[in-house]
Amino acid sequence: MYSESFIPAVASLGSLAFVLGIIILFVSKKFFVAEDPTVSMINALLPGVNCGACGYPSCSQFAEELVRTRNPSMTCPVGGGELAEKLGTALGITMAEPKPVTCVVLCQGHNGNARESAEYVGIRDCWAAAQAFAGTKQCRFACTGLGSCIAFCDFNAMRIENGLVVIDKELCTGCGACVPACPYGVLTMQEKKTERYFIACSSHDRGAETRKACDAGCTACQKCVRECPEQAIVIDNFLASIIQEKCTSCGKCIEVCPTKVNCILLERDMETVKSKKVP
Amino acid sequence: MKTFKTGGIHPPEQKLTSGKAVEVMPHPQELAVPMSQHLGKPAKSVVKVGDEVKKGQRIGAADGFISANVHAPTSGKIKAVKQHPHPGGQYSMTVFITPDGKDEWLEGLNTPECDWKKLSKEEILKRITDSGIVGMGGAGFPSGVKLSPPKDKTIDTIILNGAECEPFLTADHRVMVEEPEAIIKGLEIITSLFQGKVSAYIGIESNKPDAVAALKKQADSKGIGIVVLETKYPQGAEKQLINAITGRTVNEGELPFDKGCLVHNIATAIAIYEAVCKNKPLIERVVTISGMEIHTARNIRILVGTKFSEIAAFCGSMTEKTNQVITGGPMMGKAQFSLDVPVTKTTSGILFINNRGLEKSGEKTCIRCSRCISACPQNLQPWLLANTAQLRDFETIELYGMANCTECGSCSYVCPSKRELVHWIKYAKTLASKRKQRQSA
Repeated sequence: MYSESFIPAVASLGSLAFVLGIIILFVSKKFFVAEDPTVSMINALLPGVNCGACGYPSCSQFAEELVRTRNPSMTCPVGGGELAEKLGTALGITMAEPKPVTCVVLCQGHNGNARESAEYVGIRDCWAAAQAFAGTKQCRFACTGLGSCIAFCDFNAMRIENGLVVIDKELCTGCGACVPACPYGVLTMQEKKTERYFIACSSHDRGAETRKACDAGCTACQKCVRECPEQAIVIDNFLASIIQEKCTSCGKCIEVCPTKVNCILLERDMETVKSKKVP
Repeated sequence: MKTFKTGGIHPPEQKLTSGKAVEVMPHPQELAVPMSQHLGKPAKSVVKVGDEVKKGQRIGAADGFISANVHAPTSGKIKAVKQHPHPGGQYSMTVFITPDGKDEWLEGLNTPECDWKKLSKEEILKRITDSGIVGMGGAGFPSGVKLSPPKDKTIDTIILNGAECEPFLTADHRVMVEEPEAIIKGLEIITSLFQGKVSAYIGIESNKPDAVAALKKQADSKGIGIVVLETKYPQGAEKQLINAITGRTVNEGELPFDKGCLVHNIATAIAIYEAVCKNKPLIERVVTISGMEIHTARNIRILVGTKFSEIAAFCGSMTEKTNQVITGGPMMGKAQFSLDVPVTKTTSGILFINNRGLEKSGEKTCIRCSRCISACPQNLQPWLLANTAQLRDFETIELYGMANCTECGSCSYVCPSKRELVHWIKYAKTLASKRKQRQSA
């Protein structure tokens, strides 16, 4: 009984597969496109995450362009210096080394610091919350903690902790895909250094208003400006910023900063952070 | 009874204040007058901190073609000019005035009534523009611009919108009952600006028989048609109103004047009458204070710039159960995050409600019941728009007619899966326009 039912099916499908196989074989021979083996070799070296940090939509397009132009200034921020060296040897040129960058959050307004203004019940997306005032926190420059940026991170380096986005500095490659995803401009890319100072606040409100809204806001008190021996800190529109070229990482600004309710306003980034808490 | 052809819903009317006469609220301690009370570019503030201003003095000058002047609601001293929360959901440059209690008008304003028939067309338009009149139904389109349509368009129908289809709101209703003469005069002024045969209508929903009677008495001798409309939401939306009264359909990308129509709100008509005949700028309006959680729900005449907190105090404060304060109606209004926000020219109502247990907690998936499609007055497929918005596909969503959505909220109201349909569409609109800006830049 069984033999009658499956033999025709196997025969018909098998012959169909054979015919199609022949066609595929013919087409692959007839329309063969010769690909530069260097491109596939370069492509194999690249991280292969298609993050777009280099300016090209995908890694393979970057590889094609690199092989075609052999432009030593083309860099892959994700691969860093190591990859630049490998690419250089593969192509026989000296590649420029990309400056290692990392993403930093210019906000310290986690739930312990920033005060809530209202409950938000709409769709869980920062851009949607931005239509109904600036999110749920009183400070209109703060991270809402709804995490629209997380979907843009290809490296799993972002998470929401206590109402604030946190970046895993080990995993962040500095591709910059998250930066345009934030409606408030809280995320920015900064050069990787062992000791790095920046103002972890985006509030352009006046001092008194910032203070009302958040314990860890820059109140533009000018103390760090006066203290800085290099004149590397400027205050523009009620927010301090550090001119990185002038900063020598002496740490005097942190000592005088008054908004230190268990937070570091001027965060000491990278390796040194956690051991040195500000008094 | 006339009505629009497709879609629509009928939420509980909840017109708690329809029988309450308009009361005047005493002047508040401080006024916060936003420079952006209209569609288009915010006005530029023309006063400095410390300046003394008279009532009706211009404090914000229109900046650009689609913009409107802003005037001081009372006499006093400028306390500050700074960014302040705005009921529209963003921060806006706001002028703070401490009233001096004298309430003195600037000379030449609030004059005894003059005969508008003696004024030239240009003079009428100039008075409307100078007085900062904007559409008071909610969108706040500058009336001076609306009343000067492009030369090649002929206007043959003027409609006054007295539908007030949003639940709770009764501000327009009370105004229609109490000031029918002013409305008719305002409508006559608007009609006189257009040549040829222009027919004028006032559309009123059937749940306001006293307003219909009051206006009929005035209108019948003047050849103005009072159209009684079916009580159905969104009867008062511009496109739906045009469809209900004239049978014409305003298609995607078209404006009402493409179909020879011009729609103004009832309150705008009164403001136009007062601006033209009395030279009175738009500095106050009638607002419905309602909701289950306010002690005395009432209709009040209020200065633009009065903070919500003072209004709540005037109405006997809100109960502790209040968990949402909404400007406008419950369907299209916006929940506020602060009671510091001021009343603007477009605030038609303030609702204090408790919706605990009713809020849209947790979206479920679409069950393809198609109720949103039957409810949509614009013939769209809200579920499809929302799904596309969730996928962040902002090119396809335009093909599905996103621009046609009036954000009336009928779809979200009927959705049994508690989907935030309108919110997703609004979200897509914002991000799509952002994307376009970035692409053109």
